[in-house]
Amino acid sequence: MALSKDELKKAIEEKALQSPKPQLYIKDFYACDPDAKPRDIKNVANEMVREGRLAFWSSGSTTMYGIPSRIQNEEGA
Amino acid sequence: MAKRETPLLDQLETGPWPSFVTDIKRQAETKPECWDILGILELSYKDRITHWKHGGIVGVFGYGGGIVGRYADVPELFPGVEHFHTIRVAQPASKYYSTANLRQLMALWEKYGSGVTNFHGSTGDIILLGTRTENLEPFFWDLTHDMGQDLGGSGSNLRTPANCIGMSRCEWACYDTEEACHELTLKYQDEIHRPAFPYKFKFKFSGCPNDCVAAIARSDISVIGTWRDNIRIDQAAVKEYVAGNYAPNGGAHSGRDWGKFDIQKEVIELCPTQCMWMEGGELKIDDKECTRCMHCINVMPRALRPGVDTGASVCVGAKAPILDGAQFSTLILPFIKVTKDNDFEELTEFIEKVWDWWMEIGKNRERVGETMQRVGLPTFLSVMGVEPIPQHVKEPRSNPYIFWKEEEVEGGFARDIDEFRAKHKA
Ligand code: HEM
Ligand code: HEM
Ligand code: SF4
Ligand code: SF4
Repeated sequence: MALSKDELKKAIEEKALQSPKPQLYIKDFYACDPDAKPRDIKNVANEMVREGRLAFWSSGSTTMYGIPSRIQNEEGA
Repeated sequence: MAKRETPLLDQLETGPWPSFVTDIKRQAETKPECWDILGILELSYKDRITHWKHGGIVGVFGYGGGIVGRYADVPELFPGVEHFHTIRVAQPASKYYSTANLRQLMALWEKYGSGVTNFHGSTGDIILLGTRTENLEPFFWDLTHDMGQDLGGSGSNLRTPANCIGMSRCEWACYDTEEACHELTLKYQDEIHRPAFPYKFKFKFSGCPNDCVAAIARSDISVIGTWRDNIRIDQAAVKEYVAGNYAPNGGAHSGRDWGKFDIQKEVIELCPTQCMWMEGGELKIDDKECTRCMHCINVMPRALRPGVDTGASVCVGAKAPILDGAQFSTLILPFIKVTKDNDFEELTEFIEKVWDWWMEIGKNRERVGETMQRVGLPTFLSVMGVEPIPQHVKEPRSNPYIFWKEEEVEGGFARDIDEFRAKHKA
């Protein structure tokens, strides 16, 4: 990894805040650190979900990631 | 919740087959909100469009799978199904349940959900249909703490692995499918519970090529038992079958009279590779031509058995027909040992190699079988470090050109032209 874990988290957060669509695929975050392995990006993104900085959005067959406040909550909360 | 009038759905009860409408009405006697399942479906039949929304952010803390959010888009009409989330629960290996466990599961689901289930889903795990968001965490707490059971996979996760009954009841199992499924389920907890991939990923374990879990049709990595030595033949038992003293097919299909057993017609001529014959009253098999289809063994189980040098073939890439039609898995590794003695090392090394490659190369929502098709089998084999063998070839080549890679050419592409010209005039 070229970025430190905290830098990578920042980059992922930026990307998720600025993307036109609120939900992103895990692959959309790969570009945040081209030197990092997909598995590392996935682990960091999952850690950010546990911290509440990202949230999952799932269709049932595919899972996406987004900033909690940007993802539409079907319950309107 | 009130009873719903469902004239359109009621027609589905008039056929000779069992009807989910009857089932759900019965369930509504104890769970009145189930009337709203029928109500919303009736409305869809009238409007000719679904009234379900798709997806959501619901889950239990720390897990990115196992719960599939579903909401009605007409909650004011059908409050009973305002939230109707699906929960997937991991099934025990080979689906052996105790009645106590089933009762406990059902009691839990009556308490927190609609009581409607799908035992089992196509993936192989338990599907509990219909609960509200606020019930998810209490349900999960009871499931994990009181029952020691866990959620299964959904979304872009490794899905709940599944296996055939294998060595627990079946003499044909070429490796211990239950042990393999159980151990790999434990090893890959993170991949089951947290999305890691471009799309869903499944592996399934069958003990022999009869493939009772349909691994070859349903899983991205299909681990199918096989043997590399010879089919074991008991010639005395062959004679008993020929004489009509042993019932073929273990006595199955005995509902009508098929006439006298004919080994030539029913076994030898049906061998797909035509590698069997009778000689001096004995059954002969040219084992190097045998494709391990199991037909002869299924017909004469007392005379024929798989060999003793057993393991598994590994095939990659089955999927359902969302894009580009359905496809079976393709054979990649003809034989590996699948055993706890080496912690299933040969298998897990391969699985992780496939994952690392697919996570990088796979497009969003592309199953690994589609990625494989996109790059072509030769490329996939070379990335996996697998030497091509005749069994990888589907049909004779139709393209006359051969593209060499530099490392395949003696001296490479940059060999000394003068040295070459010394022997070959231009
Ligand atoms: C017209 C209505 C619907 C359509 C067209 C539809 C379509 C689909 C499709 C295309 C898939 C993906 C299949 C795959 O995994 O490859 C799927 C999966 C699924 N759907 Fe639906 N669906 C509908 C209604 C529902 C409803 C009403 C529910 C539950 C209340 C539901 C629950 C699920 C679940 C649990 C999955 C499996 C997710 C997984 O892959 O684990 N669906 N649906
Ligand atoms: C006209 C009515 C319906 C028909 C013809 C129908 C038919 C089917 C079939 C053939 C399957 C595949 C079974 C399998 O191979 O596992 C299936 C799966 C499923 N059904 Fe239905 N179904 C109907 C209504 C419903 C309703 C009302 C619900 C929910 C209350 C439902 C929920 C599901 C789910 C969630 C699955 C997928 C389970 C999985 O992930 O494997 N279905 N249905
Ligand atoms: S797949 Fe083979 S080993 Fe497994 S239960 Fe079926 S016949 Fe037996
Ligand atoms: S297993 Fe199938 S291919 Fe092999 S000898 Fe028997 S019938 Fe022929």
